[in-house]
Amino acid sequence: MPQIITEQNLRNLIDLLVKEAKLVVGPKLSGSVVLYEPLTAGSDLTLDALPRRSSKELFFPICEDILSYKRENGAMKVNDVDRSKFPETVLIGAPPCDAGSPAILDAVMSWDYKDEFYLERRRKSTIVGIACTKGDDACFCRAVGLAPDAEAGSDLFLTPLKDGSYACKAVTEKGQALVAAHKNLFAEGAGAEPVAFVDQAVEKLDLVKIKKWLEDHFEDPLWEKIADICVGCGACAFICPACHCFDINDEGSTDDGVRRKHWDACGFAKFTNHASGHNPRDVQNKRYRNRIMHKFKYYDDKFGKTLCTGCGRCIRACPVGIDIAEILETINTKHD
Amino acid sequence: MNAKANKNQVTSIEPAYYQAITEAIRKEAVQILKDETVVGVVGYLPGRRKGTASPALVTTVEEAEKLIFSPACVNNLSVYLTKAKKGVLKQGKVGIVAKGCDMRALAGLMTESQLQREDLFIIGVVCPGVYGFGVERTGTVTEANIARKCRECTVHMPEGADVAAGTHAELADLTPEEAEEMARIEAMPQAERWAFWKEHFSRCIRCMACRQVCPFCYCEQCLCDKNRPQAVESSPRPAGNMAWHLVRAMHLAGRCGGCAECERVCPMDIPLNLLNRRMAQELKELYDFEAGLTPVEKGPLNEYKENDDQSFIK
Ligand code: SF4
Ligand code: SF4
Ligand code: SF4
Ligand code: SF4
Ligand code: SF4
Ligand code: SF4
Repeated sequence: MPQIITEQNLRNLIDLLVKEAKLVVGPKLSGSVVLYEPLTAGSDLTLDALPRRSSKELFFPICEDILSYKRENGAMKVNDVDRSKFPETVLIGAPPCDAGSPAILDAVMSWDYKDEFYLERRRKSTIVGIACTKGDDACFCRAVGLAPDAEAGSDLFLTPLKDGSYACKAVTEKGQALVAAHKNLFAEGAGAEPVAFVDQAVEKLDLVKIKKWLEDHFEDPLWEKIADICVGCGACAFICPACHCFDINDEGSTDDGVRRKHWDACGFAKFTNHASGHNPRDVQNKRYRNRIMHKFKYYDDKFGKTLCTGCGRCIRACPVGIDIAEILETINTKHD
Repeated sequence: MNAKANKNQVTSIEPAYYQAITEAIRKEAVQILKDETVVGVVGYLPGRRKGTASPALVTTVEEAEKLIFSPACVNNLSVYLTKAKKGVLKQGKVGIVAKGCDMRALAGLMTESQLQREDLFIIGVVCPGVYGFGVERTGTVTEANIARKCRECTVHMPEGADVAAGTHAELADLTPEEAEEMARIEAMPQAERWAFWKEHFSRCIRCMACRQVCPFCYCEQCLCDKNRPQAVESSPRPAGNMAWHLVRAMHLAGRCGGCAECERVCPMDIPLNLLNRRMAQELKELYDFEAGLTPVEKGPLNEYKENDDQSFIK
């Protein structure tokens, strides 16, 4: 049965969830940028702009403690982080290119090694995705198999309607439970017409063909051509909903400190630096090649998925204007 | 330096002006590649999206004919001549397209013995300004979409270039936003100023884009990447972030040419150029020195003079 929620009731829902002591996270204006931040009230939610950073940080924070250690009376005492204390979380207002990221990342996070930090947060989270009607010329979700109305990753999916309300679809049991627990905020019915989506400039890509080309062109002049200008920062990886590399550092002293896990990026020069000093990715274009290879070949090889939701963030943020969609289009048209 | 002829008349710069610069750049670039004066030219090519541009390293006449200059040509290309980008350019003399603010970086790099003037062919751009971050890319530059640095530009005319592309153009009186912001921060009580920066730095995600685009951050081993032992906490948390930003500001003092690239690329909108400018002001007051105006033998922080200000020793 289709259901509808008015914008006011959506905000009321947030108020109620906050009262229930849930962590409610959604797009919120923070200084000059919109970020996924804890909402303290329904009025905090802003749906006008794609947040600068993706919602992956809800499950995979920029930085988190994974243990602490302290020497006491000559003996080293190690304290684990109590993951049972992670709060029940509702992510609200994530467009398909963000809501879809856990659906991609769950695979690597629960592969041979189970990332319990990520997985515990995933177990405790409900994702309320929202169809996107605000795309710009950097968006290309359709080209990589998603769409402005793709439900992948969402537990409950909202579609903006022309009268300002939202059509709701419970995609998973978690989504059903959320609706069931706040039944009075939802009304039954099909509602008004949906708001139209914005056209996207990038044609649907043949990801199978691109992968095949990548397989055969580890060495190719293209890499120098497109990526010699890359300056090797972490901007594209850090704001990407699908990038998931991290580094682990012990910080503090030898007697008292914390082990921290924080974002890392294959664009950094030292990402593959060996202890010997040898660096197999010795120049920047090889590092950028890895970005493309991992997203459109290696991840697919291992997990059958593409490591990109087409959110366009890296295109908007790259200091030197490297445009991943343009690169994919170029590869898409290659015949050998 | 700054011809004031057009003051109070110009309120926008039309695409035709940039088109003229484009033609001039193409002509020069084609020429110096053809007569083998240079092995390549660092310039800009248009991006896929309307009103965007990207740095480009061109080595053929064919490519040189596609070079552009538009308000989207924001990058300081001198970063591609530094050792941080080693391997990108072939050995030999190179051509480079440089706006006034980029020329300051070139002069600074010469001061630091990173570049030799005779190895460069500089195509200077008589630059009326470029887009700010996240503005509407309409093709026409106005008060509404010009970059903050350009509002107070004193280097529209590229001094010391081999050739200049374009004729003089300048936007009429623009509100100097950055200077106003600096004055506002300067007037704050110290605790408030500290809180201002603490709040900004707490948002830093340590993507290092600010460092990677800076022509002066060419160190092969950045102190802030060291982990055996760790010198500065590398995790994006308030303590390490503060340390990183202090290191950055101090290491750029007396060197930074004010291209504001670091600020432009910051995905978290941290106003880094305010710090750069504050450090530059300090250098000006203490040593009567401005970085990057002309190449000098040594910057003030690299040499000792009897009459140097000693008041900071307490
Ligand atoms: S690679 Fe770029 S476009 Fe793709 S998901 Fe990451 S940030 Fe978005
Ligand atoms: S593209 Fe690079 S930073 Fe992103 S997940 Fe892959 S290896 Fe990590
Ligand atoms: S592609 Fe752009 S954002 Fe990514 S590392 Fe290179 S310069 Fe930085
Ligand atoms: S600061 Fe001056 S030279 Fe630099 S881009 Fe702006 S107007 Fe051009
Ligand atoms: S510190 Fe910033 S403004 Fe100064 S030279 Fe480096 S990038 Fe340019
Ligand atoms: S660019 Fe911004 S977010 Fe990135 S390291 Fe620099 S200050 Fe931090």
